[in-house]
Amino acid sequence: MTVIRRVLALTSGRIAVAVLAVIALLAALGPLLAPQNPLATSVRTLADPSAAHWLGTDYLGRDTFSRLLDGSRVSVLGSLEVALTALVVGAVPGILSVHLGRAFEWVTLRLTDTLVALPFLLFAVAVIALLGNGITQAMLVTGVLVSPLFYRVARAATLAVARSPYVEAAIVSGASLGWIVRRHLWAKVLPPLAVALAQTIGTGFVIVSSLTFLGIGVQPPEPTWGGLLASDLGYLAHQPWAPAAPALLIMVTVWACNLLADAVRDVSGEAGRALVDRRRARVHRTDQAVTTPAGGAR
Amino acid sequence: MTALAALLAPALTGCAGEAASATGSSTLKWTSSYFPAHWDPVVGGSGAQFRELALVYASLTRTDEKGNAVPDLARSWEYNSRGDEITFHLRSGLKFSDGEPVNGAAVKAAIERARKQKNSALFGDLTSIESVDAKGLDAVVHLSQVDYQIPQLFGQRVLQIASPKAAKSPARLDQGPVGAGPFTVTQLIPGTKAVLKKNPDYWDAENIHIDQVELTSAPDAATVISGLQTGVYNFADIEPSQASAAKKAGLDVFVQPGFNASNISLNINKKPFDNDKVVDAVRYAVDRQEFVDKLTFGYGETTDQPFPKGYVAYDPKSANAYPHDLAKARKLLAEAGYKAGDLKLDLVIPAEDPQAEIVQSQLAKAGITVDIKIDKNWATPFFAKDLTFSLYSTTGRDSAAQTLTAHFGPDGPLNLSSPYEPAGFEAAIAKVRETPLDSPEYTETLRAATRAGLESKALVFTYSQPNLIAKSRTVSGLPKNPAHIDWTGVTIGGAE
Repeated sequence: MTVIRRVLALTSGRIAVAVLAVIALLAALGPLLAPQNPLATSVRTLADPSAAHWLGTDYLGRDTFSRLLDGSRVSVLGSLEVALTALVVGAVPGILSVHLGRAFEWVTLRLTDTLVALPFLLFAVAVIALLGNGITQAMLVTGVLVSPLFYRVARAATLAVARSPYVEAAIVSGASLGWIVRRHLWAKVLPPLAVALAQTIGTGFVIVSSLTFLGIGVQPPEPTWGGLLASDLGYLAHQPWAPAAPALLIMVTVWACNLLADAVRDVSGEAGRALVDRRRARVHRTDQAVTTPAGGAR
Repeated sequence: MTALAALLAPALTGCAGEAASATGSSTLKWTSSYFPAHWDPVVGGSGAQFRELALVYASLTRTDEKGNAVPDLARSWEYNSRGDEITFHLRSGLKFSDGEPVNGAAVKAAIERARKQKNSALFGDLTSIESVDAKGLDAVVHLSQVDYQIPQLFGQRVLQIASPKAAKSPARLDQGPVGAGPFTVTQLIPGTKAVLKKNPDYWDAENIHIDQVELTSAPDAATVISGLQTGVYNFADIEPSQASAAKKAGLDVFVQPGFNASNISLNINKKPFDNDKVVDAVRYAVDRQEFVDKLTFGYGETTDQPFPKGYVAYDPKSANAYPHDLAKARKLLAEAGYKAGDLKLDLVIPAEDPQAEIVQSQLAKAGITVDIKIDKNWATPFFAKDLTFSLYSTTGRDSAAQTLTAHFGPDGPLNLSSPYEPAGFEAAIAKVRETPLDSPEYTETLRAATRAGLESKALVFTYSQPNLIAKSRTVSGLPKNPAHIDWTGVTIGGAE
């Protein structure tokens, strides 16, 4: 809660949260807000924007604005799926690798190295060819491939804490691993993980958009932002402005995620404490300025 | 920005043109959506890529502007009196690019390879061939049935002839083609680029005025047009959606005649298409004009047969047998026991295709729910006839009988309902084979076979996609050989 308050105390944090709240609203209500059936075709193909079709129509005469709204849910949920899969698959073994002995550490480190070496797009295509083309399998695969980031962040933070005197004292006192993790590790590991999570949601957007741009992970005619961008590019000669809307949405969302990640980083750990100290000092100086008469008035 | 581009584009194009003429050579820079995955014609099959392979390989026959078989490597041919044996007489003194002679033995080897090679995509097209005898420059083909379609069949689609020496290693031939065609390959980057130079030993070399060919795999549709504008390419097949941009860019845009036809493939061996009423409901639910309007930008046309209107085999008596009638479609579905929304189908296709979205939307109006499933391994279940509902687009064949058997024959690769064939089709197609192509009865016999084939419940034809091409104005006009791209007599930048 303190971290959230600190993030909201920053201008960049407030902007990021506001933008992401709007995107979340689009994801939740987009399909309901769509003024027309996003799948309904018409004879008015590749029409310019008008009162009836705010962003024109696509190559089959479907309302582009409605498709954009309807596509928000898949795009947002897809990126969340990537980030949460990566968090679970990466962070848990990252923390445990410090405590479960050398064999576990060696195996997880080698697995992580292997995942880092795999080109995620090619691997995702290969796995989808095996499992079938669907957004869930595509995002799960991508989440696993992104997980080394969380593994490393969680492991580095855990290593720093695990050798501290109070943790060693807890071990000597017979505390269980679960208790140590809950009592001492979470507080230290969560802030860097939160930064990585916010960053990964942004990366997830780019990945979802890239995969759906290539027609992977989603079955037509279901709209996604990346899919809309891909189909718009095929009709640039007719609607040169059309890719702007999905591209802008993707760009703004990724930017907001990165902004949030920066804000979380700025208010976490030592930096966060320093920020709070600076704020307190500023407030203190202001109070003094208010209570102390100006020098010239003496 | 636009003004700057307008100023720079002609200047850049001009530079490219000057560079070409400075070297004194004419180069065809062809970017193709059908860059061959296989350069062994036996593996490549008779699909769209045969046009690119025809740069390297010659055939016994070729087709003229009327689609008739005319001499190529064979200077002439004749049938025996029964029509079950044909002898091809080859031109003398011809060689493959590896120095091997072009003779009857090479023809025999090519036919036998197409029939027997394990990964051959052509064996199904050669069911009439019993055996081949090589006699010097003659190849005598013994047939298992009377078949006057053989000269049409042994053209560029089915019998591009490779050097028998090179073909001893099919795997090497597949990425190092050796033929007796107008060009020879000097560099090949698989899947990406091929550089070819003129073959001085080609039998018609004097009519080939192109010195070099740079064949590349086409980038995305919009990039092709800008590549043509700036001189990166001077010849390309384009999407209909790009035609207006190509014209605005001052390119020469034209439709090469062809036999293209798209269809909805149904498997009547599986539910729900084992019910004739469901099949008929799909037939009546299809609005062909929507495909033409939305996918071809006015360059294509509707068709309800496996070839476009106007083709010799197109049967006017069968035209419009199932007009768009949603009320009738719904009634037939109800009679088949399906209420609106009851019937759910998976439409399995290899890649995203707006055709599928149109089918989905049209069938939805009739009360059929269609889920589009993209299967990257689509070809395996499709040709194994395991799918229930799919789409296919053919570029046609030079032999009308081959087109018909491919779609309607019991083993036809495009008949998703194998071994089903419509009643009377086998007799009708046998009659076509038995009728010489110059017989006055040929056209009506062929159309009767089309009529018999269209009784098939396995296929619903929709529209004919145009062979749309954009080229630089420095490339002269192509011969109008239907479905082919023939470089004979074509000049670039006025060079001869």
